[in-house]
Amino acid sequence: MESAQFDAIVVGSGISGGWAAKELTEKGLKVLVLERGQDIRHSADYYGEHAENWQMPFYGMGDRERDDRDYAIQKKSYAFGEPTLQYWNNDRLNPYVKTPEKPFNWMRADVVGGRSLLWGRQVYRWSEQDFKANGADGHGVEWPVSYQDIAPWYSHVEKFIGVSGQAEGWDQLPDSEFLPPMDYYALEKTALARIRKKEPHIPITMGRVAILTQDHNGRAACHYCGPCQRGCSTGSYFSSQSSTLPAARATGNLTLLSDHVVEKLEHDETGRRVTAVLAVNTQTGERKRFSAKTVFLCASTLASTQVLLNSASDKHPEGLANGSGVVGNYLMDHLAVSHTGTFVDDTDRYYLGERPNGLYIARFRNNGEQDEDADFKRGYGYQCIPLRPDWENTFNVRGFGADYKESLRKPMPIWIWALRAFIECLPNKSNRVFLHPTRKDRFGVPLLVTEFEWSDNERNAAVDSGVQAGRILRAAGAVLTDLSDARKLDVGGDAIHEMGTVRMGKDPATSALNKFNQAHEVDNLFVTDGSFMTSSSCVNPSLTYMAFTARACDYAAAQLAEGHLG
Amino acid sequence: MNRREFMQCAAMLSAGTTLAPTGWALSEEQSKYLASRDPYIDQVSPELFSEAQRGAVTAAADLTIPRTDTPGAVDAGVPRFIELMVADWLTDDERIGFVAGIDDLNARGNGDFAGLPPSAQLSILEALEDEAADSPWYNFGATLRLWDSEAPFICQFKELTVLGFMLSKTGSKEFLRPNPMGKFDGEYPLGPDDAAYDKSTLLRMIAKEAG
Repeated sequence: MESAQFDAIVVGSGISGGWAAKELTEKGLKVLVLERGQDIRHSADYYGEHAENWQMPFYGMGDRERDDRDYAIQKKSYAFGEPTLQYWNNDRLNPYVKTPEKPFNWMRADVVGGRSLLWGRQVYRWSEQDFKANGADGHGVEWPVSYQDIAPWYSHVEKFIGVSGQAEGWDQLPDSEFLPPMDYYALEKTALARIRKKEPHIPITMGRVAILTQDHNGRAACHYCGPCQRGCSTGSYFSSQSSTLPAARATGNLTLLSDHVVEKLEHDETGRRVTAVLAVNTQTGERKRFSAKTVFLCASTLASTQVLLNSASDKHPEGLANGSGVVGNYLMDHLAVSHTGTFVDDTDRYYLGERPNGLYIARFRNNGEQDEDADFKRGYGYQCIPLRPDWENTFNVRGFGADYKESLRKPMPIWIWALRAFIECLPNKSNRVFLHPTRKDRFGVPLLVTEFEWSDNERNAAVDSGVQAGRILRAAGAVLTDLSDARKLDVGGDAIHEMGTVRMGKDPATSALNKFNQAHEVDNLFVTDGSFMTSSSCVNPSLTYMAFTARACDYAAAQLAEGHLG
Repeated sequence: MNRREFMQCAAMLSAGTTLAPTGWALSEEQSKYLASRDPYIDQVSPELFSEAQRGAVTAAADLTIPRTDTPGAVDAGVPRFIELMVADWLTDDERIGFVAGIDDLNARGNGDFAGLPPSAQLSILEALEDEAADSPWYNFGATLRLWDSEAPFICQFKELTVLGFMLSKTGSKEFLRPNPMGKFDGEYPLGPDDAAYDKSTLLRMIAKEAG
């Protein structure tokens, strides 16, 4: 391949890489996307879409022997299963080192489109409070970017992807460019009316999702089949496959190579310019060298970090762009904790279709200022899901015959409302990834080692999320509550919001990237996946990755045009 | 498959048939779709159980979920599902334990559980539940995990019977009912005699163990 023809190489085709490909090609740049996963086609290859349980092997309960052997980590995800199998990383073929006493679950896709096919589709803007948090309380370094800097890029992204939601005017959760919000369950209306009366300060809104409630940019409105993660042939949820990659292809400037995993980057004698991207063909083992004027690392937080660390050289002895020593450190995720309430309201109401969304309770703790009764910094929001329990919850009772059978037929005369807190995670240096000194993968690349522990701050916030959930659920009319005491917590990585290991900042001594996601030490290198995140906020991060990616592309293209990068 | 073919395929499926219209057959590409497949239990032939074991499983499944004004476990192919799951899904140790449980049914039935009158069969099943009564399998909420290897045979048998019935084509369409896609209405009325929907995703597949 004549690699000199490329202006930019984008590593990864997930939510960040897809945006880099779209923005750069639309600015007239010739772009090569290198994706380690297999190629699939939008729509045509979503083989699990609309399948019934009875059509799947083991009625959809998975081949346990295969899943234990090949998907020991990935199988823990709610989205893993027979209909989504083709999207996930094979943990046997592509392993990492999980430290038993500091466990971290690395959830990875391995397909063109990456985790944009599997993501939860919740999209929330960060607020000024989020960007100022590190500077205000001293955890982590200050963000070099303000809300005002990124707000236009949020709009730019939202107009393209399509975000349904309700404008509320809340400072801590700025409104997006919205399509109409989704509709409510009867129980949600009942609960909401009571909460607004008894706990009026609780900010509740319809979940904001990158799922279309009306036709948008050539994609169809949602048909409410339910399990989005199987893939959506109508493109009703945003993914690289449905949206950014087709836009990039339409320019004629895109070349996409699947089955190519990037091993390392090489630089020139000054150390300030990447000259080559080394990749391995995962099918043949053949190694290839690609070059372009600029490189965007969008391989996902841990994978991009692995590439930088594995690119160590005389000029960059601790890893490329790592003179600060921060690369690999300050790994964050969100801590998710579930609390539920049982309701006997609206039991004569059911639903048509499956709404792939819930309500959202925005941060109300330490909002604006530190609450006197809070023994933790920062905050959390709740994603709230209604459930109508049925036979799956009740069949484990005694009895046989017609009465037993009949007892399984109708929905239970209750509703469950589950409040799942997503808690902001502080950047702690001891939460980290690094290259194993001796163990290597099948291509000879050193394995990534993970070490992660929750701090007291997240633990205290988790306990508080139960106390507050109890208040909210009782105000909503719950007759029973089941509140987590946060003694047994999810493992880091389980929220699949890993970020922060190549953070941006103002000072090259304490950060790896500048405010345009450009490496302080390498002029033509940009990193725009979750690894650039300097703090974690409590809201879902993908929208912010997309906005920063688009902004970095705008900057890089301008720099290229002025001859600064090439 | 292009969009038009996909919609044809989808229309065919929603019409409840997997027979292709005249002059139009599923291509190899289309047949890889899970949604265009025949039921799992019709695709694989189990050859694990002896005739006596198969007879006991069939009789016990029929007693657990009999045919009433709606189809029962045997109509829905539950015995075949159980044999497939025991053969291919259970671990070696689990399989040995489960098959021993079936043999115990026959032993309690003088070598031929299926040959007993239904009332005698029921007495045996109820006795097994009496013996298992202290198992945590009966605790509320205990089913939100993939599988309980430690549960007594009668509990595991009941669980496979219920799953095999509720997730079958027959059970999901003729005992439960489909939730039609197309639009969302969160206030749709539920009549006093209305069945629950079949489901796209089992809670047990979502509520997995942390670690």
